[in-house]
Amino acid sequence: MSARTWIILAIVAVVIFAIGGINTIPRLEEGVNASWAQVQNEYQRRSDLIPNLVETVKGYANFEKQTLTDVINARASATKVTITPENLSDPEAMKKFEAAQGQLSSALSHLMAVSERYPDLKANQNFIALQSQLEGTENRIAVARRDYIAAVQDYNVRVRTFPGVLWAHIYGAQPKQSFTATEGAATPPAVKF
Amino acid sequence: MMRRLALGVFLLFFCATAHAAPHFPVLTGHVVDDANVLSRDAAQELDQKLMEYERGTSNQVIVVTLSSLQGLTIEDYGYQLGRYWGIGQKGKNNGTLFIVAPNERKVRIEVGYGLEGVLTDATSSQIIQGIVLPNFKSGDMERGVVDGAQAILEVLGGHGVVVSSSDNHASTVQSVLGLIMLILFLSFAARHPFIAMMLLSDSRFGGSSSGGSSWGGGGGGSFGGGGASGSW
Repeated sequence: MSARTWIILAIVAVVIFAIGGINTIPRLEEGVNASWAQVQNEYQRRSDLIPNLVETVKGYANFEKQTLTDVINARASATKVTITPENLSDPEAMKKFEAAQGQLSSALSHLMAVSERYPDLKANQNFIALQSQLEGTENRIAVARRDYIAAVQDYNVRVRTFPGVLWAHIYGAQPKQSFTATEGAATPPAVKF
Repeated sequence: MMRRLALGVFLLFFCATAHAAPHFPVLTGHVVDDANVLSRDAAQELDQKLMEYERGTSNQVIVVTLSSLQGLTIEDYGYQLGRYWGIGQKGKNNGTLFIVAPNERKVRIEVGYGLEGVLTDATSSQIIQGIVLPNFKSGDMERGVVDGAQAILEVLGGHGVVVSSSDNHASTVQSVLGLIMLILFLSFAARHPFIAMMLLSDSRFGGSSSGGSSWGGGGGGSFGGGGASGSW
């Protein structure tokens, strides 16, 4: 190759370097990982509230056994499904995670809906405190999920568009999985009696 | 020409960002009474108290009343407002927003990451249910806001939530005392109008304006959706 071709190639390389930024993809990936960690923290926080909640509710005579068992089982299977940062590009892993946590969400919202029928329980100070903690945690989960979605979007746009796509090729960076469920899915379903 | 171009670019940018995020009020102090539920005196007094609290602890507690939530839930609006203003110090995230939306009849205590351990969801809920909402329901918005803010400060200072069901007696004593003071002051003012004017202007305008200008605004803290909400 002639000297001129080399110079042009060098200029192109410098331009890509300048625009793409060699550190951008790792930096955005760190952002994705951090916000994922936050999502898992908040789900963990919810999980940690459940034993206390179950214990409180159990004390009330003839509280629906099935509702409690559903919550306990859903919690047990949800704690088994975690995603490490390396697996965030795996759509199957994300689907499993979503399914397990979604199951727990609906079991919990059913429990809260059923508790409406027990005036004594609703007046219990311990239960009131747990209820507000659960509400707060659900809200934290919603915020953490939105932050994660935003971080993944930043990262994926960079990985899929020029010049980031070149760096992605070099690093072997894959697009990350976002949440598929809409925000509406986080609101408790209506329970009819 | 250049100026017009710059303005155009600015407006374009502004419209673009305004479209993406809800419109937030300007952070003018520790009390942002956008919905006009507080009297001037109460707002100033509360602002002063929260400012002194921040000086002592670096915790930022901001009271904000909103004329509209712009179609969002108060939970959704709250954490975004906290992040937008950057309430709390950077790295400590020790900020708290006490948000009142009278038109939607919603109230929320939005707690920054760093204060979640002290001002928990349960205590936030206790403050709202036990102190704020009873006053709102009986139509005394101002007292609900002032007492709610006071309770937040007490909890952050390590105290429990004290729900006083009736301190009407204390408040009548206070208002009688206030009336006596007012009469005494007026009779004094009738004799020495000039000194009375000086006293008034000094305490009202001199003090608060110098305090307001020294505040640096939000410290860059962040929020993750902790706290509690209520409606009436």
